[in-house]
Amino acid sequence: MKTGEIVSNRVLQDEYYEVKFYAPEICRKTRAGQFVHVKIENLKDRILRRPFSISDVSGDGVLTVVYKRVGKGTEALSTLPAGTVCNLLGPLGNPYSPPDNEEFPVIVAGGYGSAATYLIAKNSPGKGILLLGARSKNDLILIDKFTAAGFEVRTSTDDGSQGHKGFVTELVDRVIEENKDKKIRFYACGPTPMLLALAKMLQDRGCNDAELSLDHLMCCGVGACFACVVKVRADNEDGWRYARTCKEGPVFKASEVYTGE
Amino acid sequence: MVDLTVDLGKFKIANPVMTASGTFGYGFEYKDYYDLRELGAVVVKGIAVKPSHGNPTPRVAEVAGGMLNAIGLQGPGVDKFLHGAEYMPFLRQSGATVIVNIWGKSIEEYCEVAARLDAESEGIAALEINISCPNVKEGGIAFGTDLKLAHKVVSEIRKVTSLPLITKLSPNVTCIADFARAVAAAGSDMVSLINTLTGMAINIETRRSYIANITGGLSGPAIKPVAVRMVYEVARAVEIPVIGMGGIMTGEDAVEFLLAGADAVAVGTAIFVDPYAPLKVIKGIQEYLERHGCKSVGEIVGAMEKP
Ligand SMILES: Cc1cc2nc3c(=O)[nH]c(=O)nc-3n(C[C@H](O)[C@H](O)[C@H](O)COP(=O)(O)OP(=O)(O)OC[C@H]3O[C@@H](n4cnc5c(N)ncnc54)[C@H](O)[C@@H]3O)c2cc1C
Ligand SMILES: Cc1cc2nc3c(=O)[nH]c(=O)nc-3n(C[C@H](O)[C@H](O)[C@H](O)COP(=O)(O)O)c2cc1C
Repeated sequence: MKTGEIVSNRVLQDEYYEVKFYAPEICRKTRAGQFVHVKIENLKDRILRRPFSISDVSGDGVLTVVYKRVGKGTEALSTLPAGTVCNLLGPLGNPYSPPDNEEFPVIVAGGYGSAATYLIAKNSPGKGILLLGARSKNDLILIDKFTAAGFEVRTSTDDGSQGHKGFVTELVDRVIEENKDKKIRFYACGPTPMLLALAKMLQDRGCNDAELSLDHLMCCGVGACFACVVKVRADNEDGWRYARTCKEGPVFKASEVYTGE
Repeated sequence: MVDLTVDLGKFKIANPVMTASGTFGYGFEYKDYYDLRELGAVVVKGIAVKPSHGNPTPRVAEVAGGMLNAIGLQGPGVDKFLHGAEYMPFLRQSGATVIVNIWGKSIEEYCEVAARLDAESEGIAALEINISCPNVKEGGIAFGTDLKLAHKVVSEIRKVTSLPLITKLSPNVTCIADFARAVAAAGSDMVSLINTLTGMAINIETRRSYIANITGGLSGPAIKPVAVRMVYEVARAVEIPVIGMGGIMTGEDAVEFLLAGADAVAVGTAIFVDPYAPLKVIKGIQEYLERHGCKSVGEIVGAMEKP
């Protein structure tokens, strides 16, 4: 098999797909929270790569990406049959720091965020909780995999079709309350508004070592173009600076996230 | 054996392929991909007097055959560039041929950066003056689109540095050859072109521009024919060396620029698609030269035949 060759590509659930690439070298180096930059074959006049979190890696060199079909690139990707070879760049970005033996991991995820954080759960020495939020129950993905990894999964949906009706951040305080005796370590990935709300919450509650994966429209993927920046706290007159999510992130400490205007 | 070296008058480069400013960071970002000495030159992202946040996001949008960007020249400022480990100190130690792209909001600012770099010029082969920056003191007219200002900024910078000067021309003008003549007369040792073409893209569902800055600079394969034409016009208008760029993805693309009259080329947006693109372009040029029995790059510069 060639590096970058698609092993399988199938519908996971509703608009979500799961593609597996043969990429032994990337698999060996991957740590939770990193991403691959994919040159989608057959994308015609669109030339840029598309970044995707590495959802899972196997010992025999198979890398899994879970993606939602949202535009031209992901649409083209969803039609690629097994055997197609795509050029992959990775693993890119800074990973999450894995929970240690004493820590109780609590993952807060929205949208494809559960795919981006699955490796934390898979490799965690102790089992924890996944708080998973989405628009509707069809968007709640990978619950089975987290359950199989020993995680308790609590859900929320905007429309109330499954679990708590409302925002996933509304589930956070109860988890803190219930696990007062434990050393909770928060991890998060999801839409930016959710992450900003969560960062503020976690900052207020003193969970400064929480780690959030912030991403933004990405271009080069390696820190050269300054397209994918987000505001992080800085020691200057504005109190913030733009940090490149591809190179300085995508994982940032909650304490670093700038939550002002 | 084909000789790939190019003599740019003030200095020589090992091969005709550079990186386009703003598309290769400060070189540091690509250090794990290959030895930077394999490139003709590394042209770093624009450096100004002070650190700069750049524009609000979103800063880029993909369009047919390319992209729009309005990064807004985010950068560390000249102090950090000269002394921060991942900038000039790294580049010096990498052994790469380094060209520093500079910009300012006023002539004074341009001169200040140039003077600062001149004072610590070890490892700097040349300065590339970006005169297509839209926010200037003089009535908001870009230096790159006003002949008098273009001449003025280059001649003032000329006074404060002995480093070779490359002036990067804006394509957003009616007659780019006039600008090439003006900056050559002002003491520019070379010209490079083209910078991005101003463009726009609107999301029809949200009715908002895809870019927070509303307009952005178009780059990538979409602009190549325009760039080749402009290089052709400029190469016929001035004697000084011409560095051509705009949508180069392959060695064949680069050869077009050389035939149109460019002495060297730069690869930009293609690097986002493939970090190895500049090396592939070098190889492509070499293969072309071999296939056509040429011994040096110079043999095909401006060698376009009449129709
Ligand atoms: C670090 C990182 C990890 C990601 N991981 C995943 C994942 O595991 N699963 C998943 O479904 N999606 C993920 N995304 C988002 C994914 O990259 C976009 O959904 C995808 O690029 C959209 O491409 P498109 O051509 O289908 O959409 P279009 O809207 O047609 O794309 C146009 C442009 O926008 C960019 N783009 C659009 N939306 C996003 C976005 N949300 N983030 C970044 N770039 C975007 C594309 O790269 C492209 O340049 C991730 C993004 C980043 C930055
Ligand atoms: C993301 C991005 C950032 C850029 N930043 C700069 C810059 O800082 N200074 C500059 O002179 N040109 C800058 N440019 C212009 C390029 O150097 C080049 O002139 C242009 O992109 C055309 O070449 P290309 O089509 O190969 O990219 C930038 C281009 C892009 C795409």
